[in-house]
Amino acid sequence: MSWLMARLRAVAVATAIALAAALAASPACAQQFDELIRKLASDDFGEKLDAAEKLGALGDGRAIPALKALSDGTLFLRKADGAALIADGARYFEAVGGKALGELPAGDVEKVRANNRLRGAISASLSKLSLFSDDRATRLAAAREAFKSPTPETAAALERALKSEKDPEILTAIRFSLNAAKVRAGSVEDRLKAIATMAGTADPQVKNLLTGVSNDKDAPPEVRKAAAEALVSIERTLAIVGVAENVFQGISLGSVLLLAAVGLAITFGVMGVINMAHGEMIMLGAYTAYTVQIVCRALLPKEFVGFYLVISVPIAFVVAGAVGILIERTVIRFLYGRPLDTMLATWGLSLILQQAVRSIFDAQNKEVANPAWMTGGFELIPGFFVAWNRLYIIVFCLMVLLAIVALLRRTSFGLHMRAVTQNRDMAAAMGIPTARIDALTFGLGSGLAGIAGVALSQVGNVSPNLGTIYIVDSFLVVVFGGVGNLLGTLVGALSLGIINKLLEPVAGAVLGKVAVLVFIILFIQRRPRGLFALKGRAADS
Amino acid sequence: MSAAQSENGRTTTPRRAETLLYLDGVSVSFDGFKALNELSLVIDRGELRTVIGPNGAGKTTMMDVITGKTRPDEGTVIYGADTDLTRLDESAIANLGIGRKFQKPTVFENLTVFENLELAARDSRGIFRTLLAKLSGTDLARIDETLATTGLVEHRHRQAGALSHGQKQWLEIGMLLIHEPQILLLDEPVAGMTDHETEQTAQLIRRLTGKHTLVVVEHDMQFVRDLGARVTVLHEGSVLAEGSIDHVQAHPRVIEVYLGR
Amino acid sequence: MTDTPNDGAPRRSLLTPRGWAVFLAFGFALVVVLPILNRVVVTGSFTHVPDYLIPLIGKYCTYAMLALAMDLIWGYAGILSLGQGAFFALGGYCMGMYLMRQIGDRGVYKNAQLPDFMVFLNWKELPWYWHGFDMFWFAAIMVVLVPGALALIVGWLTFRSRVTGVYLSIITQAMTFALLLAFFRNNMGFGGNNGLTDFKDILGFPIQAQSTRVGLLIASAIGLGATYLICRWIVNSKLGRVLLAVRDAESRVRFLGYSVTGAKLFVFVVAAMLSGIAGALYVPQVGIINPGEFSPAASIEIALWVAVGGRGTLAGAVIGAFLVNIAKTWLTGAAPEIWLFFLGLLFIVVTLLLPRGVVGLVADQRERWRARQAARQAQAAEAAT
Repeated sequence: MSWLMARLRAVAVATAIALAAALAASPACAQQFDELIRKLASDDFGEKLDAAEKLGALGDGRAIPALKALSDGTLFLRKADGAALIADGARYFEAVGGKALGELPAGDVEKVRANNRLRGAISASLSKLSLFSDDRATRLAAAREAFKSPTPETAAALERALKSEKDPEILTAIRFSLNAAKVRAGSVEDRLKAIATMAGTADPQVKNLLTGVSNDKDAPPEVRKAAAEALVSIERTLAIVGVAENVFQGISLGSVLLLAAVGLAITFGVMGVINMAHGEMIMLGAYTAYTVQIVCRALLPKEFVGFYLVISVPIAFVVAGAVGILIERTVIRFLYGRPLDTMLATWGLSLILQQAVRSIFDAQNKEVANPAWMTGGFELIPGFFVAWNRLYIIVFCLMVLLAIVALLRRTSFGLHMRAVTQNRDMAAAMGIPTARIDALTFGLGSGLAGIAGVALSQVGNVSPNLGTIYIVDSFLVVVFGGVGNLLGTLVGALSLGIINKLLEPVAGAVLGKVAVLVFIILFIQRRPRGLFALKGRAADS
Repeated sequence: MSAAQSENGRTTTPRRAETLLYLDGVSVSFDGFKALNELSLVIDRGELRTVIGPNGAGKTTMMDVITGKTRPDEGTVIYGADTDLTRLDESAIANLGIGRKFQKPTVFENLTVFENLELAARDSRGIFRTLLAKLSGTDLARIDETLATTGLVEHRHRQAGALSHGQKQWLEIGMLLIHEPQILLLDEPVAGMTDHETEQTAQLIRRLTGKHTLVVVEHDMQFVRDLGARVTVLHEGSVLAEGSIDHVQAHPRVIEVYLGR
Repeated sequence: MTDTPNDGAPRRSLLTPRGWAVFLAFGFALVVVLPILNRVVVTGSFTHVPDYLIPLIGKYCTYAMLALAMDLIWGYAGILSLGQGAFFALGGYCMGMYLMRQIGDRGVYKNAQLPDFMVFLNWKELPWYWHGFDMFWFAAIMVVLVPGALALIVGWLTFRSRVTGVYLSIITQAMTFALLLAFFRNNMGFGGNNGLTDFKDILGFPIQAQSTRVGLLIASAIGLGATYLICRWIVNSKLGRVLLAVRDAESRVRFLGYSVTGAKLFVFVVAAMLSGIAGALYVPQVGIINPGEFSPAASIEIALWVAVGGRGTLAGAVIGAFLVNIAKTWLTGAAPEIWLFFLGLLFIVVTLLLPRGVVGLVADQRERWRARQAARQAQAAEAAT
């Protein structure tokens, strides 16, 4: 496998150099460029430093590979003619032109040394040069990076980049960074104009920049005043973005809670059974994902390993569902009509399941890695980062909910289940096999918990205690939303999630949680049977 | 209050001096379903009234409203001279002298017949009083008397859970009687009883008339006929007809919606 | 034993003569015999009670008190409160605060004013809620008052809005969980994760000394006896029958004119106070109180003790607490990985097969034996004629 990767990397380096060559500027410049690259590989540190700085000022993107190589210690000098070479493993390329040379005897080449001062100059040059890189992402990053060093030189580089750049997103970033540079220095008028363009953004970096300007005693008073005013509007925007971010976090937590609680809502709503082992069903689902991950890593080709999560979902549903049906048939069915005893017996089951998993897998935390497509995220607006795994869980949760609604509304199993919920005796009289419906319902609830476990394995570690973390919260969701009502569970989970996350920055995580609990205790004063409670006679049973 | 409502153009049932229970314009809805729809009903002191109606006519909801289990969305419920029942909770209403028998017999199955009656006896209901309560001679006499009235003397020390269905119904009525209520609300007192038990129950109820005001909700038309009292027919949450059993049985709308003949 | 709550005839005496005999015999064994066997009988003698058993049995006594409180609220009033462990822990923390203040300047940091953990956290002065706990009488009042007040507030809010059954269990469990989270925080001022420990003495007696431990055992045994009599008195009163009635048919009680909320609140608060006292006796014997006592699992385990012994019978609660905890001490020592399996299985077996617990099982056996005896006597009488 590794030879393939090495080959691919080599090709990439070669292409980069070749592409950079294709972008070459005028012949005169080209000569100067060749000269500077040569100097970069010289013995004299002063010369190297000078070359590095000049290459940055030259604004030729071809210099990037060579500069990087020098900084990384992969730039070599060919003893025969003093040409600069770039090494990739054992292979060498010419720094100018990018001609591949293949492997060379160790005696033919000599490593070019760099020191910290040189590295500093290289990084400054690179950041300027990156504005002219052929790689879009690099240019974008450089344009944003330039914001941090708002010097006149950066401004000049940005001005130059502004002329050659075509990409609209990069253009925006360049203008933005240019503004930042202008805010720092220049005529009062220009500075005021630049400040005006910055008001209302939600970037913490802009905030820092303007704070610096407004505190800068050397700046003209009108500039400082304008900066202070702009700051006020920025703070407001930041606060709004902060709330938006918390709401998103809340929805994300809410969907996790919803996944954990929806199975509980079904078993409680249909069967009146409080399953204290529900959390352990979640835990089983998470361990299923862990096991599937191990098996997939062992069996599947590397490109497909990322799919283990997709495979885990049905398997976790089946595993947890089967355990659920087993529990219903062996324990719970003997306890119908004795809800408190059911609580105790299922608590016993939860202890057994926890200890069993501890015996099989040991008590250490296990990690179920995020597949590549779930890592990272994107910045929706400056200061508001959306993580892929959070977003996927929200989407996944909605899909699960839709599937349940479809199951309840469109299938005969769903019809039977609803019939049993509303009037067990009548359903039995009509020939609906209530015992089988009970077992299947419990299996469904447990299976959903298993799915929740797969999702939870993506936002935290997997341990035998995983279930106990979520069980109290899931109960609260069900009580808050109102039993036997999926809409109530949805609204309950989302509102608890959002309340939790909005309280967290104010009160801290633990006190926020305590406040939520107090809130629910007070809430049930008004609506003892939850948000969406059944009323009338049905509520009495 | 009722005067103001009549000014609003609402028909108001007149209140007489002997009125014990007065319901006017009472409405209750559950999730859009109107269980009671502007129900008006007047019960006189010492009267025996039977209430009939098809399922869902609002009979049980009416009892729920009177006994404080359900709060009406609107309307007036006045007990005696000027007690507004819509402001009180179940235990306060029970202590005013309004006793209620449930549709399903609800006695304390894990207590004996004696203990069931002891709890129901008219004593202080305060928590600390009950902690220190001692049974007095008059209490015992009253319990014995009630056991005799309900024909449960020989079951005195049996657990209530071991009684037959009919006996449980009688025990429940006994528990109401020992509390010496002004008015007794009986929800289907003969449901599930044998013919013999039904007959005995009818006798028991007739014995009670005069001493207590009674409102009996029933399905069993023969039983209603046996009681020979004034009948109120409920339909879709309001009164459809009122009068003697012969009168309501001849009423065309009643025949249409309920009797189906 | 003497627990047959529904034997028909109105019961007015606290205990039957035989009940008193058993009660006093157990009391004598715990308060007189055990201390003598430990302190007077020579070590190595067959009848000598080893030192380690004294605080252990004392601990069991406090657990039995806790079980009695649980039985009062669950077995009689039918309310499965999962907050008893929290009330126990609150009582324990109140006692722990007193014991912390008694350490004075003998702590690691030699600070006469502040407990070690506060010095460690760089606190400069004692938080307001720690004041007064240097006095035993104040701590003793708080042991009862704090759990009682919490029960009063939570109970009033929940019972008033008619939260019953599993809903009430969930709410009380949430309350316990909230306290667990809160007490884990360092800045709550209760020692955070580590809780309160390293106690030196209680009422001037060194806490590690065997004589103090014997004293604490005697105190716990007396506490257990008093708790038993208080519970007995409540369940024997008319209020006890109101509680049973609430358990069987809550709405009927209401329509009889009783305040169900009031009755529940009373028994909930009493149970919380008794749990608090149990916690206060527990802490000096085990030498530590930490947030772990607030874990929901601990509260549910209390319900198991009661269920094993036989809910709705006071003797059952005591027997269950001793049985389960003896098994726990033995198993967690001999085979710790088995313990959770055993505990889990116990929950299932008791609810499925032994709903009336050990006491119910014994009563059934005795009933059967009596029936056989009666049959045999009848046969003998028949043969004689």
